Amino acid sequence: MSITEKILCSKSHEFLLDNGDNTYTVGLTDYAVEQLGDIVFLELPEEGTEYKKGDTFATVESVKAASEIYMPVSGKVIAVNTSAADSPEILNEDCFEKGWLVKIELTGNEAEQADLLDYEDYKEEIE
Amino acid sequence: MVKETFIHDKHVALGAKMVDFAGWHMPVQYSSIIEEHKNVRENVGIFDVSHMGEVFVSGFDAAAFLNSLVPQNILELDYSKAVYCQLPKENGGLIDDLIIYRLGILEYMIICNASRVDEDLNRLVNHSRGFDVKIYDRSHEFSLFAVQGPKADELMRKMGLTTHQNSFTICPAVIGGVKLLASRSGYTGEDGYELLVKNEHAEYLWDEILKQGKEFNIMPIGLGARDTLRLEAGLHLYGNDLDENTTPVEAGLSWSIPKDKHADYVGKDVIMGQIANGVEKKLIGLKMLDKSIARHEYEVYFKGEKVGTVTSGAPSPMLGANIALAYVKNNKEICTGSIVQVMIREKLHDAEVVKRPFIEKRNKVRL
Repeated sequence: MSITEKILCSKSHEFLLDNGDNTYTVGLTDYAVEQLGDIVFLELPEEGTEYKKGDTFATVESVKAASEIYMPVSGKVIAVNTSAADSPEILNEDCFEKGWLVKIELTGNEAEQADLLDYEDYKEEIE
Repeated sequence: MVKETFIHDKHVALGAKMVDFAGWHMPVQYSSIIEEHKNVRENVGIFDVSHMGEVFVSGFDAAAFLNSLVPQNILELDYSKAVYCQLPKENGGLIDDLIIYRLGILEYMIICNASRVDEDLNRLVNHSRGFDVKIYDRSHEFSLFAVQGPKADELMRKMGLTTHQNSFTICPAVIGGVKLLASRSGYTGEDGYELLVKNEHAEYLWDEILKQGKEFNIMPIGLGARDTLRLEAGLHLYGNDLDENTTPVEAGLSWSIPKDKHADYVGKDVIMGQIANGVEKKLIGLKMLDKSIARHEYEVYFKGEKVGTVTSGAPSPMLGANIALAYVKNNKEICTGSIVQVMIREKLHDAEVVKRPFIEKRNKVRL
């Protein structure tokens, strides 16, 4: 099963991946990355920080502009992709696997995922 | 309604990401801003800048008329030469910045920013009373392509350019079989040409330059790289670094203003007064000392005090650092080598004050 078959996407272009071990990975969708163009800077949160669904948890900068990245669900950051922060261009190469942003433990309930779309529906939504 | 240039569909076919800019639907990037930027510095690129305005001024008083509007000395502008000018208001603030070309004994062409054509025309028309001049906005007749980079001259020669032009000169030429006006100028800090062509030949010329430019590794370049290229070259962008509340002296453009111009011009008292007595704010170049990027409207601090505002900021692909232009209080302690701070998402980030241009310019052509 490819990764795009497993992820859920927000309308603000973040993805949420259930890792199957009570942890989730959060990143930016390929559409977001393509729209941004060359990614040149990434500001990621500290491990241990807790966010509510919809909070800004990171900032991504393309050559042209800075954009905020929002939590698709409530969660506590348990891992940060420091290699993406060091080499943000890896998001342009592979946003789903190498270019993930943070791993979290959920702190909210399942209902928070109700407005997230599977990848096929997300693609349709943005077209 | 958003306007389209005559080669709009070419941009779309080339896969450009299109954005609205100054009322025009323009390509911001084709492949990657960084790749496009580097290609202009290393090879050659072609830009569609047909959104820019072309205003023709002719008549017995054309020279004196323009001379009464800009700080530069238009009476001394020779035939076929160009000069970088500003269009000040009475208070010294700028309506626009322009290139004025002398096309004939009694004829001049003004290239103005797309977003300011209407304001420029208002100023020109309202100021023309008592002058024997005719003012024509011919922006809708022409397309304008910039061919920029170290290989631009070779490409233009291959395509039929025979004249040897110094920088800031304009000549009629036939390039790729198309009659046009070729100006050796640009907005990148590189050598290159700006080609003014009738709209009906625009598509053909664009295709032909891309085709003939293949052996020089030509790329189409979008407005994104145009912005990073001009910023590295320390060139101002109207609307960011210049506006109606900023004088050319504050903007660090005093080098372009003759101190001995006899004739009066709009804003002269303020501008000459500032040259003599100094200014309260000044434009500085910044290099960020970490990976953060200063952007338009971010605040600048010095010794804990807010001293100014960033007007342009972006990564510099050639320096591998992030650079910016900012206006700060004209404090003598803020000078080349000083460290200031930029407030980015509620945190202060150190930046060094550096000289402009940020990179060495390579567009000085003297033959």
